Amino acid sequence: MVLKRLNSILVFCFVVNMLTAQKTNDIKLLTQKKEFISGSAIQLSFKNTSEEQIKLIVKNSYGTRILNASQKENTINFIIPEYISKVRGNLFWKIISKSNQLSGSIKVLPREKPKTIETYLGPPSIIAGGKDFTMLVTIPTDKFDNPLKEKTPVNIKTQFLENESISEEKTNNIIVYKNIFSPLKSGRMIISSESHQLNSTEIDAAIMPDNAINYDIFYSQNHNYADGNQITSFYTSTIRDAHQNIISDGTYVYFIVQNKNNKILKTSGTTINGVATAKIIHPDKEDNWQISSYIQGIAESNKTLNLTFNKAVLDYNYELLDHNRTITVGPIKSFQNQMIPDGLEVSLTLLNEGKEIYKTLKTSRKGFVSFKIDKNIYPDGIYDIRIKSAGITKELQKIKLW
Amino acid sequence: MKESTNKYLISAVILALVFHGTTIFFTLESTYDALIHLFFAEHYSTSWFEPWNYKWYTGFTVTSYPPLVHQAIAALSLIGGLKFGLFTVALISITLFITGVFRFSFLMTSNRKVAGYAALLAVFSSSFLETLHIFGQLPSIIGVSVLMHALPEIYQWLKTGKIRYFFTSLSLISVTVTSHHVTPIFGMLFFIFPLIGMVILDICYDEVQSYKKIKFGLFLKVFFRQLKRNLIFGFSSLFLIVFCILPYWVNSKNNPITQVPIPHGSRDNFLEITSSGLVFFLIPWGVLLILLPYFFYRYYSKRYLFFGLSFTMLVILGTGGTTPIPRMILGDNAFNILTLDRFTLWASIMVLPLFGEFAYRFVEGDIKSLIQRKFGAVYHRLAGGFLVAIFLFMAIFTMSLGHFRPSQPQKIKMLPIVNFLNQDQHFKWRFLTLGFGDQMAWLSAQTKALTVDGNYHSARRLPELTTRPIERLENSKFKGVAGIGSLQQFLTVPEKYNLKYIFSNDKFYDPILYFCGWQRLKPLENGVMVWEKLNVPPLSSILPKDNIATWQKIMWGIIPFLTVIIAFLLNVQSIFINGLKSKIVKKPDYFNYKVTYNNFPKLMLTISHWWIFLLLIVFSYGGYIFYIKNDDQISSNNVIKAYYDAIDFKEFEKGFSLIDPEQNIKLSQYMLEVSVTDGLLSSYAKLDAIKLKPIKKSNAKVIYEVKTKWITPLEKIENTELISVVKRKRKWYIQKNTLDTDLPPDQLYSINKTAYFNQGRRRITTEQTYHEDVLKQPVLEIISAKLVKVNNSYAIIGEIQNIDNVPSDVVLKGTLYNDNNKELASYNAKYHMKHKLLPKEVSSFKINFEGIAWSKTKDSIPKTFNPDEFTPVEFSEQPTKFNLQAAGNVSNSDLFKNIVLSDLEIQNENVTGTLFNSGIQEITVPQVLVSYYNDDKEIVWVDHIFVKDGIRQQRKRNFNFNINKHQNIKIISSDMKNCFVNGLPNSSISDKMLPERNLNHNYYNFQKVDMDNFKFLKIEMNSYIGNPN
Repeated sequence: MVLKRLNSILVFCFVVNMLTAQKTNDIKLLTQKKEFISGSAIQLSFKNTSEEQIKLIVKNSYGTRILNASQKENTINFIIPEYISKVRGNLFWKIISKSNQLSGSIKVLPREKPKTIETYLGPPSIIAGGKDFTMLVTIPTDKFDNPLKEKTPVNIKTQFLENESISEEKTNNIIVYKNIFSPLKSGRMIISSESHQLNSTEIDAAIMPDNAINYDIFYSQNHNYADGNQITSFYTSTIRDAHQNIISDGTYVYFIVQNKNNKILKTSGTTINGVATAKIIHPDKEDNWQISSYIQGIAESNKTLNLTFNKAVLDYNYELLDHNRTITVGPIKSFQNQMIPDGLEVSLTLLNEGKEIYKTLKTSRKGFVSFKIDKNIYPDGIYDIRIKSAGITKELQKIKLW
Repeated sequence: MKESTNKYLISAVILALVFHGTTIFFTLESTYDALIHLFFAEHYSTSWFEPWNYKWYTGFTVTSYPPLVHQAIAALSLIGGLKFGLFTVALISITLFITGVFRFSFLMTSNRKVAGYAALLAVFSSSFLETLHIFGQLPSIIGVSVLMHALPEIYQWLKTGKIRYFFTSLSLISVTVTSHHVTPIFGMLFFIFPLIGMVILDICYDEVQSYKKIKFGLFLKVFFRQLKRNLIFGFSSLFLIVFCILPYWVNSKNNPITQVPIPHGSRDNFLEITSSGLVFFLIPWGVLLILLPYFFYRYYSKRYLFFGLSFTMLVILGTGGTTPIPRMILGDNAFNILTLDRFTLWASIMVLPLFGEFAYRFVEGDIKSLIQRKFGAVYHRLAGGFLVAIFLFMAIFTMSLGHFRPSQPQKIKMLPIVNFLNQDQHFKWRFLTLGFGDQMAWLSAQTKALTVDGNYHSARRLPELTTRPIERLENSKFKGVAGIGSLQQFLTVPEKYNLKYIFSNDKFYDPILYFCGWQRLKPLENGVMVWEKLNVPPLSSILPKDNIATWQKIMWGIIPFLTVIIAFLLNVQSIFINGLKSKIVKKPDYFNYKVTYNNFPKLMLTISHWWIFLLLIVFSYGGYIFYIKNDDQISSNNVIKAYYDAIDFKEFEKGFSLIDPEQNIKLSQYMLEVSVTDGLLSSYAKLDAIKLKPIKKSNAKVIYEVKTKWITPLEKIENTELISVVKRKRKWYIQKNTLDTDLPPDQLYSINKTAYFNQGRRRITTEQTYHEDVLKQPVLEIISAKLVKVNNSYAIIGEIQNIDNVPSDVVLKGTLYNDNNKELASYNAKYHMKHKLLPKEVSSFKINFEGIAWSKTKDSIPKTFNPDEFTPVEFSEQPTKFNLQAAGNVSNSDLFKNIVLSDLEIQNENVTGTLFNSGIQEITVPQVLVSYYNDDKEIVWVDHIFVKDGIRQQRKRNFNFNINKHQNIKIISSDMKNCFVNGLPNSSISDKMLPERNLNHNYYNFQKVDMDNFKFLKIEMNSYIGNPN
């Protein structure tokens, strides 16, 4: 039903249109030029014999606008304002008149020479080695920001170390783009573009080193005694990638230590000029360390290091005083019989019938540690005492406290 | 007869303006409420007719508070700025209060001199001082003052029925309504109802010419005769209460207060929590407490009978939670919403006329003569001195309370913060303040930037806030588990609220900020530290708002000022006539009921003496208990508590004074030892509970097992120590444990490290950052990720690596879906990862799915505090898939990695290790991340341990944990199809960047353990540096 009604309306419109079109052929386009340069004065002239006030509707990528005419005798002129005429592309026009449907289009061409040259580069950093690339996009535009016509030549210039190169490209679909693949070396690549002697600013792309390859590790230490008070440093050879670039500063290098008891200890270093340094404190009892290193998932040390820490403290004495309630451990002497540096941990465990009832930990001072067993807490009786330090355990059986 | 000027009133007003007018400049800005009112005023000064405010709580409506005072400040701010407006309104409120007291007293006593006395005394009334100078409740003061002005008019209307008084009284009622909503409602109940009763009694008096002869029948007869007038007045004022602030009621109905009640001191048991008793009972009552028998005696005389009932009610309600009666009267709901201190305030205001009366009778009336006759003139003078001394003491004490026990942090200069927010478009994100107190309102008033927090808790909208009993995130550390729990949800998922900047004035929050992935920018000139979170999108330019009808907006904008104008026009004539005495006016009706003051009953005098005696005993006993409980060295218990207290409040000199002098420790040595201890426990912990258990006791020595619970921003710490105390010369002392004597190997040493600086933008411009200045997001790779289920909660675990060449900040966001791809929950990684990764560094991670805590079971909020606990999301459906989004951003801060695992021992389930600091920064909070692997070397669980003590340079620190014994960890999904890095699929990244990943490297890390469900452990270290240098 609705469709039927719609049809009849359409038919009616068509008939009316035909009638009016027949009646009015009195407006004619006088301007013959179909192509204009952007920004140039564009005037559309029509011959008009009717009395009717005629307007022109124009439309381009900027928008739509209705223009008024200026009339001289039988000629009417429409001046396209600059903000419309400067935009590159098709400009459609149509006469607004009760009786006329005249329409057409003209083409606005960009100017020949660029005024600005827009350049984009991304990503700003890529990996050396020739697999990674960055893309340069260049759009030369004229003074009205119109992209230049198709196939405008653009030179893309790159500089990397001693290499300077220019490649000629032509705009395609408004832009020029080029994938710039990374060189083998790391560094900074300077890129710019040029069109019709107009040069862009320089843009740079950082070429980052590629993934590391295996490397060597070393250590340095003052002595190899297990005194718990010296630092051993691990360091790597200069770590490079497959193209001989030194890897980026700050790369995190793991050092894993496996000790005599198969426990995994770890330290780490970050590289500077390819060398990572890591520190670790000496153990306080004799030990043997297997040290390996890696950059996770990427590279590892060629060999594992083997480090042996000798006993620093061979033995120590203790003394029971004050009704056996004061236990003085020491002198604890180091490898040349010097007093062990302060801070060696000594633990004391008090056992009653094999059951641990008290455990305390103290650090040595000037080679001695003194423990007091408080009479108020631990009443008189027979106890076992265990002293542990530097991997040496002393069991004191059946000590009477009173 | 021509009236002479009332010199008492004039002096009272002058005195009040001089005294309060000068002191408000030192007190008002550090009160609880004044700055909030200032913030509201700022809102009206910029958008008078638009009640929606975007600045707080992601937007709220200012129709949630009656507008008059705020609009008045806003209007005045156009002349001289916001603070000018605030102080002007404060001065007006002072004047209104004093004159209001005068008029109310005149009404009650019909004696100009007595009213003058009352006005004079009101100047220093401690409840008024407290309300103004400590609480800063301007609307409340103005409300009650105008109500007092209204009372004589109401009396006149009810008594004479002259239509003029009907309008004057209603005009004043409407001013009260627009300035404070609670005052007129309860004012009706507690002031106007008794007034109606008094009018009826006065009419009865007119008939029988004696109050004694008034019988109930007569009262009833007059009551019904008066009923029409009373009802007209009652319903008219009810109408005004509803109409004048209609948008307020509409808003209350649309957004009912469904939030969890916020604890308020006025609801405490004052005997248990003495500080609340002081602030909400002793101070507002002050000297009035001594005169209570007099007030009851007078208010229960026949004319004032209804005031007596009302007064009794107010006194009882004001006792808060001390007795169960207020809760019974008000019901649970009202009891939990209302702040009960206002009842005490009204009670103390209600008795001001009688206080004036007492003063008059004591100074020049019958009480004076009675005392002089009975005890002599000297006694009278001494008694007067005693009362005046207490009165003045209470006034001075109240005024100085804010000085000695500041309720606010030190005044913060806001300008640097305001400038920071204006720079570089920082206002495009929301901000949060920490440790600002009520000054956050002043900051909000000065900047156009928005915050997720706010300072008007009735307007809270976010479920994260309304389900907790906290008023602000800002001071969440004082709110225990609820506070920090709320805060950490905002910190973990800040992008939900576009929260990017935090201004921290309290270093307590630093560790939680760091471990939630925030980074320090710089301290501003005022010492406030700015923290920033990367990867947070800016606010959208159009924000949601709840629009209200235009008629409501217009009502809200116009009516308040209109009520003032109408009230002024209606009352201006009488003000001028009364003030300038230009014309002889007819005495008001209540003038006929003047009481003559003679023959003060002796019994009352005796009762008063006994009452004072009783009070003295109570206070002396209270003081004695206070002394016994608080004298540090009187018992072995006290000395330990005092020592921990001193350590908690960093009063080290006091702590030192409690140490056994025979241990021969010098103060300088003690202070040195204090200065070298850092860490979660010693720098960021607040003592929560302390339990003493004597293990061994003798007369001169006690050994205690001291179990302490500490609140830290990260987790609850329980500590057990054995401490011995000794008695020397009747004082108890603590024996200090010895310090670690470890000596670091090197005296001076150097370290090389790579440091980074990010220019941000190289060109100084207000435009967007230039394209060439935008850094590439660092490329990360998710090595493994799994969705696991433990008991009833779900977690995404895995490992992530920074495979780029620059250091990266990592944000991990996990989302769970069910089989039908319906989103079930989303959360970010919190503590269980290293948020900053150097190139090629790896971190294990775990994302817990936290629900909005306790949103379901309000009652199950745990009493004790554990910020590490969380409420898992309740899933209605089974999550089966997950999506993991990793975002990297270049970061140059917090890249300290010099922490070494230097020893490890495993005994059964117990793991003991030693951490060594090989760097040049002191590690404040070391963290150990433990990943668990199964037989196939697949990650199955991630845990963390915060080590409670810091590690100084080249020192060691032990840690200890038990291997997690989760028996039923179930892997739900290992499908990494939906893992994305910077928006790109993870698989494409790993194919491109690391196609030949060596998986063995991870295995080098693995520590073999022999457990049923775990075969390997991996230990990683992370560290928070509190004071980088």
